[in-house]
Amino acid sequence: MAPHPLLFTSCALVALGVYGILTRRNAIGILLAIELILNAASLNFILFGRWVGGVDGQAFAIFVIALAACEAAVGLAIIMGLYRTAKTVLADEVNLLKG
Amino acid sequence: MLAWIPGLPLAAFAVLILVGRRLGRASAWVSVAALASSAFLTLQLTPHVLDGQRLAVSWRWLSATDPAWFLGLAVDRLSWVMLVLVTVIGTLITIYSIGYMQDDARFSRFFAYLSLFCAAMLGLVMANHFVLLYACWELVGLCSYLLISFWFEKPEAARAGRKAFLTTRVGDTGLLIGILALWVTAGQLHLGRLEEIRTFFVLRDQTWWLTIISTLIFLGAVGKSAQIPLHVWLPDAMEGPTPVSALIHAATMVAAGVYLVARTLPLFTPESLRLVLWIGLATHLFAGTVALTMTDIKRVLAYSTISQLGLMMTALGLGAASSAMFHLSTHAFFKALLFMAAGSVIHATHRQDLRELGGLGRHLPWTRALFLIAALSMGGFPLLSGFWSKDAILLSAREHAPWLMWTLLGGAAVTAGYIFRLYLRCFHGSPVASGCGTPHDSPAVMILPMAALGLGAAFAGFAGPGVFHVHGGLDVPMLISSSVALSIGVTLAFAVGLKRRVLVPAVLRPLGTKLYRLAANKYYVDEAYQRWIIGPFLDATAWLSRFDRRIIDGAVDAAGLGGWRIGQWKERFDRVVIDGIVNGIALVTRSIGHVVRRAQTGVIHHYLFWVVAASVMLMLWIRAVSA
Repeated sequence: MAPHPLLFTSCALVALGVYGILTRRNAIGILLAIELILNAASLNFILFGRWVGGVDGQAFAIFVIALAACEAAVGLAIIMGLYRTAKTVLADEVNLLKG
Repeated sequence: MLAWIPGLPLAAFAVLILVGRRLGRASAWVSVAALASSAFLTLQLTPHVLDGQRLAVSWRWLSATDPAWFLGLAVDRLSWVMLVLVTVIGTLITIYSIGYMQDDARFSRFFAYLSLFCAAMLGLVMANHFVLLYACWELVGLCSYLLISFWFEKPEAARAGRKAFLTTRVGDTGLLIGILALWVTAGQLHLGRLEEIRTFFVLRDQTWWLTIISTLIFLGAVGKSAQIPLHVWLPDAMEGPTPVSALIHAATMVAAGVYLVARTLPLFTPESLRLVLWIGLATHLFAGTVALTMTDIKRVLAYSTISQLGLMMTALGLGAASSAMFHLSTHAFFKALLFMAAGSVIHATHRQDLRELGGLGRHLPWTRALFLIAALSMGGFPLLSGFWSKDAILLSAREHAPWLMWTLLGGAAVTAGYIFRLYLRCFHGSPVASGCGTPHDSPAVMILPMAALGLGAAFAGFAGPGVFHVHGGLDVPMLISSSVALSIGVTLAFAVGLKRRVLVPAVLRPLGTKLYRLAANKYYVDEAYQRWIIGPFLDATAWLSRFDRRIIDGAVDAAGLGGWRIGQWKERFDRVVIDGIVNGIALVTRSIGHVVRRAQTGVIHHYLFWVVAASVMLMLWIRAVSA
């Protein structure tokens, strides 16, 4: 069975997202990169859903979109809080988790 | 109704001990009122008792035993006599004390103790059971201790109280053992059933048990009634306030022993009665001769009491309980009066040594007159009370053996001798210079009770035939012989005691001096006790204390030291090994943490790098495995 061509698209999206997370210094940028990875996952759900049959995949995709919206809201709120306390949104300048 | 008689003084004691301080001077009248009411109640019993009735009240005390024990109070003729003595004389002495103790700091406390003393004595004579009797007996002992050492600031008083308590304790132990023996053998302790107990032993042919038990009971009486060899506490008891001496000598303490023997007379066998007789006779003569040589007023009276108690014991030994009780009653009146008169002298002059007194008759007319009545009564002047009771005893002695009667007549002469020596030296002769001005007679609150007792001392003897059923009429030979004895005593007292004539022929003088010295030193009884009993006892305690200090303390200290050593070792083990393990674990964890914490940079990118790297490695590994 040949892989669906769009699977390459989702692979590319994941790779782009990981790359963005690892390289972006701005927290908002990291958040956008995470959105890319989530979208890749949604695309995979739909694609494998078609292959398996039924609507489960599509339902999960919509679920992921809703989740992503929530995540964005929470993430942005955290970034706002971060900015208030640390006066920056650059992720590598913040090391509150340092042990 | 009967329970009120000891109950009222007991209640007075409770009131005074609790709120006596607040009552102040009024506390004396609480005591007087309680005792007077008891006296009133007692006198109300008179017609019943003289009819020969036995009034009793009892209640269940110990129901766990089978049969249950009933304790109670009973009044028969014997107890009634004692009740009258204790309540009437107790009341008079309490009134007298108001005057005598007026400046004392512990005024109300004194009357509280007096009330308890009388209550205990009333309980003792009314008890119908050995257990109740013993409880009251001990209470009497306790009160004597409290009252004799009432002025406990004086070391002599404190010592005298202790001596009285411990000496009578010896006798009390005998009484307790006797009661226990009676319980174990006969199983019956009811005082109303003494005849049954006697029959019980006689039927089983075990009268030797009776001898043992009665001897033990008599030992209790020896302690309380100050007989040889336990008499030593009574002279020292003079350290107490004089009203206490009067009470102890007349109504309460010493009468208890005589009463006990009279009450338990059915238990006495001929053997134990002989012991009572000999102890009594020895005490009578011994104490009489000592009284001749004493120079302290109160000590003369103390030895006189011992001597008279010996006479009562002699009568009991003859089996003449009624004569003994008769003499106890008349003695109570004149001896209480003698003590009060002596107290009046001491109160007036602040002196009690005969060598410093004299010619007081002019200054203390009332005291002198009353003292003379009491002394004549005691000496056995015809028709005064002491004459009747002494003659009753002499008559019993004559029935028993003539030699005993002659000995007792000699004792009577000695009695007259010492009491008139005391009287003459105090109230006649040349006044000795005294530093405190002219002595005055005591106040009415002291003289009036003395006058009441004077009536008793003079006329109580006429109650003899009615109450005690003793021989009533005048026995002329006895009247003559006892009067002769009295006159001899008085004459000698006048010649030797007052005028200092030396009547002993020159040849016998060294012997006389020796005898005098022997008597003046009280036959060295105290010294003998000190040497043979108290000394060795103290040595033994010292030895035991050394043993305790060396051996017992040594063992305890060694055990302590061992424990300490073990503890030290365990402490080291704890510190090195246990703490080492714990600290080691902590140290390892800490150093690992030191290394690992470097990985936590806090920079989010480093973490994500590791996440991605691990994911890639995982994928590669899965791929390698599945291939």
